[in-house]
Formats: sequence, structure tokens, C-alpha cells
Amino acid sequence: MMQADLIVIGAGPAGAAAALAASEAGLLVVLLDEDASPGGQVYRAPPAGLSVAPDTRGADERAGDALREAVAASAVVWKGGARVWSISGAFRVDAVTAAGSESFTAPRLVAATGAHERLVPFPGWTTPGVIGLAAATILLKSQGMVPGRRTVVAGCGPLLAAVAAKIVAGGGAVAAIIDLSGPGDWLKALPAMASRPDLLRQGLGWALKLGAACVPVLFRHTVTAVSGGEACEAVTVAPVDAEGRPTGGRSRVFAADALAIGHGLVPGSEIPKLLRAEHRFEPEAGGWAPVRDAFGRCSVAGLYTVGDGAAVAGAEPARLSGRLAGLAAAQDAGRLPAHVSAREAGEARAALDKALVFAGAINRLMRARPAMVEEIAKDTVICRCEDVRRGEIEAAISAGAREINQLKHFTRCGMGPCQGRMCGETAATLLARHVGSREAAGYWTGRPPLRPVPLADLLGEFDYGDIPVPNPAPL
Amino acid sequence: MSTPFDLAIVGGGIHGATVALFCARAGMRTVLFERGSLCREASGVNAGTLTMQMTRVALIPYALQAHAMWASAREWLGHDAGVVVCDGLSLAFTQREVELLSFRAGKRREAGAPIDLVTATAARAVEPGLGEGVLLAAHCKVDGYANAYLTGQAYHAALIEAGVDLREETPVSGVEREEGGFAVQTAAGPVRAKRLVLAGGVWLEEMMAWLGITLPIKVLVNQLAVTERVAPVMRTVVGIASGLLSLKQYPHGTVVIGGGWQGRGDRQRGGVELVPESLIGNMRLACHAIPALRHARLARAWAGLEAETADALPAAGPIPGIPDAYICGSVHSGYTSGPYIARLLAQRILGQEPADPLFPIDRLLASPAASPTPSAAAGRATDEQPQHV
Amino acid sequence: MTALRIADGFRRGAAVTFDVDGVAVVGHRGETLAAALLAAGFARLRHSPRDFSPRGAYCFMGACQECVVQVGGVLRQSCQVPVEDGLVVGLKGSL
Repeated sequence: MMQADLIVIGAGPAGAAAALAASEAGLLVVLLDEDASPGGQVYRAPPAGLSVAPDTRGADERAGDALREAVAASAVVWKGGARVWSISGAFRVDAVTAAGSESFTAPRLVAATGAHERLVPFPGWTTPGVIGLAAATILLKSQGMVPGRRTVVAGCGPLLAAVAAKIVAGGGAVAAIIDLSGPGDWLKALPAMASRPDLLRQGLGWALKLGAACVPVLFRHTVTAVSGGEACEAVTVAPVDAEGRPTGGRSRVFAADALAIGHGLVPGSEIPKLLRAEHRFEPEAGGWAPVRDAFGRCSVAGLYTVGDGAAVAGAEPARLSGRLAGLAAAQDAGRLPAHVSAREAGEARAALDKALVFAGAINRLMRARPAMVEEIAKDTVICRCEDVRRGEIEAAISAGAREINQLKHFTRCGMGPCQGRMCGETAATLLARHVGSREAAGYWTGRPPLRPVPLADLLGEFDYGDIPVPNPAPL
Repeated sequence: MSTPFDLAIVGGGIHGATVALFCARAGMRTVLFERGSLCREASGVNAGTLTMQMTRVALIPYALQAHAMWASAREWLGHDAGVVVCDGLSLAFTQREVELLSFRAGKRREAGAPIDLVTATAARAVEPGLGEGVLLAAHCKVDGYANAYLTGQAYHAALIEAGVDLREETPVSGVEREEGGFAVQTAAGPVRAKRLVLAGGVWLEEMMAWLGITLPIKVLVNQLAVTERVAPVMRTVVGIASGLLSLKQYPHGTVVIGGGWQGRGDRQRGGVELVPESLIGNMRLACHAIPALRHARLARAWAGLEAETADALPAAGPIPGIPDAYICGSVHSGYTSGPYIARLLAQRILGQEPADPLFPIDRLLASPAASPTPSAAAGRATDEQPQHV
Repeated sequence: MTALRIADGFRRGAAVTFDVDGVAVVGHRGETLAAALLAAGFARLRHSPRDFSPRGAYCFMGACQECVVQVGGVLRQSCQVPVEDGLVVGLKGSL
């Protein structure tokens, strides 16, 4: 069991910044991540063996390299390839690593586990070849692959253009971009987006590239079906209103062997939930978010939450919120004079406020559209793990399920290995229609392991005699 | 003032729900209060095992009756909680466990459980998934399991059909005795009833205090784990001599690993924390018994609270000194035996002679200077009970 | 190289060969098993347990569990497994 001053889980921009700030203040920090290298989803390092030519490296690659260099040069204890499976009180973290099972303990813990994609089901969304927008960026950036020979890119937000442009640049074909938002929505976002000229320029570059490649863009459209048995063959799209509800307008079909689709991001706050921190439903943060102060302090003493895992806002706000939590952890540990912390925090806070202007505009484009969920057909699968359809969810609600965990008991929706990450938003939105609000519908109770873990990895080799079997119950 | 109910029940687990069901069917106007959702505490998060081999000897006759009830739930409850009746094996891997198993199986057999001691070869014929090293096994043909998480759905429908006034999400803050019955205090005001049943599981201690009675209830924090769906690795319920393992694979493929290894928690906060070493110990035991399990993944682990009286026998019967008030709970292996014991209490409330004796709590109230409630952490007084590890 | 692997701008690791249900498949060091399978034409990795509908990798980041296959007999997320020479892969998920 390694004793540290601070444990940080998640080494994206938020977690790395928290670890670095606390480490600079003199705390012994352990930084854990599932990936072999720091960087998170946004700055994911190319895996060992695959190298990216210098001329194709963009701003994200450079930021990722800088992050990795900073972690390597710091006193932070880096634990890559660590699958955290248990977090118990105040705070003990158990992880499966290449070295077997390892335990860490510290009086403080930063949860920086990022977001996952919001997905609104439609007929055929379980067909192989249909992947997330974020998945497409991982394939493109860290695997050097396009998702298919011919890809439809659909959903909302700036990832649409980013993914499509990278596919085109990589020699792939983009059949169409299907954007839930309309040109007017983008125009409305422009002033706020101008607060980050670099990102705006990047976006315009994507648009030009896509224009040059003659990729059709269908605004205010959504995917209504994917056909194909063993793999995606065609994608049907139709026009929608501002809330994502089909208008009944003409649908179109694109032949494609891949569909990359995403409807925004949801905070992955599994750790605060597991530790029973108080949560609040914050649509502007992407969903249920841990209640936190300006430094990321949760309702559980010693627990901090930062980055997209706390509230979806993107890479730069994540980095700044991480730095704030790292400073706060050092100060709470009595290792940073309050005036130093106040000055540094003030700077980070001002930068964060500025960065959140851009993030707010993007979040409005990527906001949840409950009307889309209402339109889901009765026989469409909601829970991919357990093949639970909307009709079964509605039947369970009629049978008396009033809360999301009860709905899970009634239907097995969310009980499969993804632990409800894929279906949770949809199921809760459907339930909320009947019980009045997302607050009334609640959220999945957090339980270990954070993700399924092979028993073979967890249990290792052992002798029967070494199992500490407790004494028997009374006869 | 509105007409009082014939019966008010506080606590919507198996015990409260079963009493409500039979009393309502017999014509009583019945109201059931549950602060959360029906059967979502111990009755919904336990391992679902319906075994004789972890049941206390004194409860074997009850458990046998209850097993028959579970197996025929469609008939009497009208709904099913995914009950599967199958063989059960309890294993001994060491000489000490052989002695333990022989003794404990013998006692249960004397109490009526059809348990036979068999060789490893015979056990493997019953359960081909067994690993090496079995020295002796106890085989019982009356075993099986339910899908505990479906219990609430099954009872919910049954109670509604029986005409019970089911009030979920309705915490009760107290009960007052008054002329002709009781006033049950809720946020929406008092609800009056001629009779009262307290069926609050680990919260019975607080409920009894409403009536001025001290009844210490220990809280066990039982850890459980479930794998994701896997191809069939076993077909029976498997335990070990000490009772610290319960293991079975559901028809849909998940394997539930239980056995009463202790986590941390209390009745205020619930089962808040799992102890990694205990979880790993429990899962190693499971993989030792059924080696193919090693290829599966742990999908989820949790802890549920179990109530236990000072002598680990049920609290089921009239509340001494308070006419028309009853208690029902703290049934060791309560999921297995609960429906039958609650039905016996319903018979008593309905003025019938229960088919088997109840478990009145007079025995637990003998000393007026009752000691403070032992907590889960401190309540491991005797060698006979599971210890923290 | 296949049509999905981007030719320009990436230098791939050494070729590795692994077994997929008895078929020899070539990937490159540095690729995840999920990506290498996709590039080799294996979009469908398993079937869902209840409807038996075909499933492939969805999130590629370890969350969705759709890409679970048997690796050396153990269920693993193929998006989290680096390809290696001699891996024995069964395109069979949880059930």
C-alpha cells in the first residue's frame, strides 16, 4: 500500500494539471490512468510503435507532448495502464496494473475521469460500423485509421467538422455531414467562439477542407435509421426542428459502411457517485454533476472533481479547473500559503472564466434535446448491453418504476457491463417524462468496479489456504 | 375523520409486503408504507439464494415451506421473481471443513433438510464445473435461487391487485397509540389504523423505539459481486462448509458471488463501502470452487444490510404489552424464509392459528437494562459469527 | 496496409500476426486489437446476449463494452488490448 498526499485519477488535461499543481507545492502525488501515457482522450498519445510524422502534428499533438513532458519532469508518481476497480473511504484506491494488484491511499483524491458521449438511439444504431464521434477521433488520431471506406458523420458540435476533415485528410470518403444544428445556431455561437481565435481558425480550416472535398452538409437533420445486417450499409437521414424532432420532411439515404455519431457529452462522475458525493442535475454541464465549489471541492471531505468529469467544458477549462483543484488540495493540506494559492488561483480562475465563454457556446450546440428521446420508437433498443427496448422501459414505468435504479431492477436496463454509461441518459429522460423531472428520476448508484475487470487479473494466483475465510455463521 | 385502516404496515420488504398481501386478500383494508421503493433494500439486493445449507437449523422447517412458496410464486403471488429450483452443494476442501460440513449438514438433516454427504466424484456428477480438491460435499436437492432484484416488481403488482393501499416514497416518522389503534405519522399527516405491523428490517430498532421498546438489532453488511454474462460454467447452487460462499449462475449468464463477507456501513448510511480484501477473498473462494469463473469479468459489487437479533433468530409475532401491534423481521436467511414466516404472522393477525410457531420477541426483551446496540463493527462477539478480515 | 489505415503521416510498427477464430490476421504494433480487427474487415466482434444481434466496437475508449472478445479465453475489451504476435482471439463476447 503506497501512502501519498494526493491521488489523482485520470491523466487528461484536468488530472495532469491538478497533479502538477499539487506536486509543485510539495505534495506527494500519485497520478493514475488506464492509458499507458498521460494525455486523456483529447491529448491521447500515439501508442508505442505508431509514430506521427511531424508535419501532420497539430496543436492537440503539441499540447499532449507538453503535458507528457511536464508530468515526466515532475515529481508526480505516474501509474499508467492502471485500471482502478475499487475506491473506498478516505481514500483507498485499488488498481490492476501490469505489476498485479496495487493499492494507494491518500487523504485527498481528485477525480478527473472525463466525459462519455451522449447517444440518442435510433433503429440500427447497434449495427457494427456505427461508432461514436469521439471514437472516430481516437481511430483517426491515435490509430491512424479512418472509420470506414465511406463514412457519414452525424450529430452536433465542432467534432462533426473535426472528424470529417480528418477523414478527408486521411484519404477516406465522407458521404455527408448530418448536423442537428442549423446555420443560425452556428451564427449565434460565433461571437462567443471568437473568444478563442485559434480554435475558430481551426474550425474554419476544417470547413474549407470539407468544402474543397465537396462534402455535403445537411443542417437540421438527424439520422433516423441505419440498415445492414452484420455491418453498416446505408444511413437514412431526415430533417428535424430545433429540438431534434423530425419535421416529416423528405428523408435521404446515403450508402456508407461507417457512421460516426455523437450528441454531445455527459460528465463521467462515477467516482464522486461511488463516494456518495452530492450531485445536482445541471443541463449546462451535460447532466448530473457533482456539487462542487470554485476549486472542485465536493461535498465529501477531501474529494475534488475537475474537468469534463465534473462539468463538460472542453480541454482548456479542464486544465484550468484541474490546476485550481491542485492548488486547493495543496492549500487544504496546509502545504501552500494562502496568499500564494489565492494569487495563483486568481490567475487560473480569470483564465477559466474566459475559456468558459467558448465552452458555453459549444455546449449550447451540443445540448441534450429531450424531444429526440421522445421520438424513439417502441422497439428500438435503448440498453445495448441487455437489449432492452423502449417498450419494455415504458412497461416497467407503467408497472410502478418511479426511480432510475428501480427501473434497472425491473428491466435490467443499465445492469450490463457498460454499467449504464450508454443507456443512462436515455432511460432517465424517458423516466423523467413520467415522474416530472430528471431530479425525480435520479441517477444510477455508483458501485465498484469502475469498469468490468477480468477476475483472472484481479485475483492473481493463490492457494486455498491463503484465503482468509471468516468464521461460520451460527448454526 | 376518515375510517381507519384495518392494518397499517411500516416497511415494504418481503416481510411487510407478504403480510400485507395475505391480510388484504382476507378482506382487511391494508395500507403499506415504504420510505423508498418496494423491496429495494435487503429484499432486493441480496444474493437471492434459496438454500437450506446456509439456513439456521431452527429455521429449516420454515425454509422448506418457504422454498415451496418461492417455487410456486406464480400461483400464490401471481408473479415470479425468476425462481429456479436446482441442486445445491456445500463443499469441504480441508479436513477441518470436512468435520464442519459433516456436523452442520447432520444437524440440518435432523431438522428435516434432505441433505446427503457425497464424495467428490458424486458431487462432480451433480456439478461438472467443480474444481479440484473437494474432499466431501453435502448435496441437497431442495435448493435454488430467485432474481432478488425482480422481487419488488412481482410484489408491486401483487399488492396492487390485492387492493393494498401501497404508499412508496413515504417515510414514517413515528407511530402513536391512540383509542382504537394507531396513528402512523407521515409528512402528509397521520394515517389511522386498528392494527400495526413493524417490518423495517435493520431499522426495526428505531421503529420499536416509537413504541417505547428497546430491541437491539445488529446490522450485517453483506458484500456481493456479480460477473457479466458468461457461457454456462455451473448449474447448481454452490457453497462451502462454513457457509461463507453462495454461488450460482443465472439462466441469463451472470454469476452472483455472495456468502456474507462483511463490508462497511450502518443503518443510517446503508452499505457504503466494500472491503477490497474481503471482495477478493470471496471471489477467490468462488473461483476455487468453479475455476471457469476466472475467465469472466467482475461487473459490479455492492453491499446490502441484513438485520440480526441477539440470538440470530427471527422477531416475528405480537409486540408484548401493545395489543394489535406486531413485528416481523430479522429472519436469518430472511429472503429464503421470509414469505413463510410473514404468512404465519398474517394468519395470526387474521385470528387464525399459525401453521407453525411464530418467534415472539419476549425472549429478546428480558433485560430492562439492555446494552447499547452493537454496531456492525463491534457486533462480532462470538466465535460462531462471521468475523471481519 | 488496408483501405482503413491512413497511408500518409503515420509510420506503423512492425507487423504482428494473431489468430482470430482460426484465421491468421496481420496487424501492426501500436494498434489496439479493436482497431486492427476493424482494419482487417472484422466489423462484427460479437453478438448481443438477448437478441443475438451483431455488435462491433462503438466507443473505442473502454466505456461501451461492445468490443469485448475472448483473448486467450478471457473476456477483454479489444479496444484496450494492444495487438501482439500470437494472440488467440475468439469473436465471442459474454455469451
